[in-house]
Amino acid sequence: MVVRVEFDYANARIKGMKSRLLTPPVFETLILKPDVESIIAELENTPYKEEIEKATVQFSGIKCIEVALRKDFTNAFRKILRFMEGDPAEKHIKILLSRWDIQNIKTILRGKNIHLTSAEIVECLVPAGQLDDTTLIELIKQPDVKAVIDLLATWGIEYAKPLTRNFKEYSEKRDLSVLEYAIDKFYFENALDKLSEKSYDDRILLDMITMEIDVTNIKNVLTMIRDRIDIEEAEIFLITGGQRLNIERLITMIRTGTLEGAIKFLDTTPYNFLSELPAHVFRTEKISVIEKELEKYLIKRGISRFLGDPLSIAVAVGYVWAKYNEITNIRIIARCKTADITEKEIREELIYV
Amino acid sequence: MVDWGIPIGAGIAFGLGALGTGIAQSKIGSAGAGTIAEKPEAFGLMVVLVAIPETMVILGFVVAAMMMIMLV
Repeated sequence: MVVRVEFDYANARIKGMKSRLLTPPVFETLILKPDVESIIAELENTPYKEEIEKATVQFSGIKCIEVALRKDFTNAFRKILRFMEGDPAEKHIKILLSRWDIQNIKTILRGKNIHLTSAEIVECLVPAGQLDDTTLIELIKQPDVKAVIDLLATWGIEYAKPLTRNFKEYSEKRDLSVLEYAIDKFYFENALDKLSEKSYDDRILLDMITMEIDVTNIKNVLTMIRDRIDIEEAEIFLITGGQRLNIERLITMIRTGTLEGAIKFLDTTPYNFLSELPAHVFRTEKISVIEKELEKYLIKRGISRFLGDPLSIAVAVGYVWAKYNEITNIRIIARCKTADITEKEIREELIYV
Repeated sequence: MVDWGIPIGAGIAFGLGALGTGIAQSKIGSAGAGTIAEKPEAFGLMVVLVAIPETMVILGFVVAAMMMIMLV
């Protein structure tokens, strides 16, 4: 039976929250600020006031901004989850937010793999998903990758499954990408399993998830070409279920052996904007530039959902991406100010939608 | 023999108008509650928006009244 979800109340609240997002003129004001301290002062005139004030008690400089942004981001999503509790749409929000659970677990595993301090790992976390602050801090306290996975398994957290299954291969190769790929694949498969083509709201979310699969696959293909990975081995790292790119097409892209050649195969897809990148990006094999363009595309498509059906999950999808974009932009401005990067360069780095 | 046609017609005019108003107000009301939760300053506007569908039931009532007064 298809359950009709009543989005009147939830979407009105989300639209209210969207109206409080920072506008391009506010970003411009932040860019023109001379240093991080004045950015903090400016943020006190925005909806970030409360979290900035709390953070300034304990921290200063970039750390203060990071803590406040993280807290605000978490609060926004917790709030949405709270007023959608018990509603069939809660499933959609949980799928959307589990993206950050995966990101957090990957961050912790990366941190443990290269022996970063707990404080350094905490800085990179975004506790917006189902794994809250306390859970993540307990995970960070673990001494190594194995202990993190064991603790996830002890708590019965579903993400432990793919990690436990692939831990042996990781310990043999000492290659973290094995675990990262396993958990990514688990996230996408899990999301695709929970969503059905029959439901209207599921289809809206499926459209976004399958696009994310495409983007993840393109990133994987380009990295594998750069690292000259064997085609047999490469095949294992591709995720099925993409919107426009099936496994055969991705393998053909890998077979070309060059970034430029692989990108040419995207000419008939919505990802053809990549072929417009300057030639030196491909010559110098700067994957990060291509990854950034793909991320921008994903954000823009995510936010454009806001213009979709106002009585569907599309509004929530649009908001989640818009909030993520806002936080990313503020972080870019703050980081660039500490690195003394020119205003023109900061503007180029930002994603305006 | 009592002619039930006119009272039934008046009842339909009033009843369907009321039903339409109810459906519209429930949707606008819940969306309004969501808006006021995020933006309390929009309270005045929301009261007006929730009241707008009342016109349907008033129109239904007027039609029903006219039928009962003028035709019976």
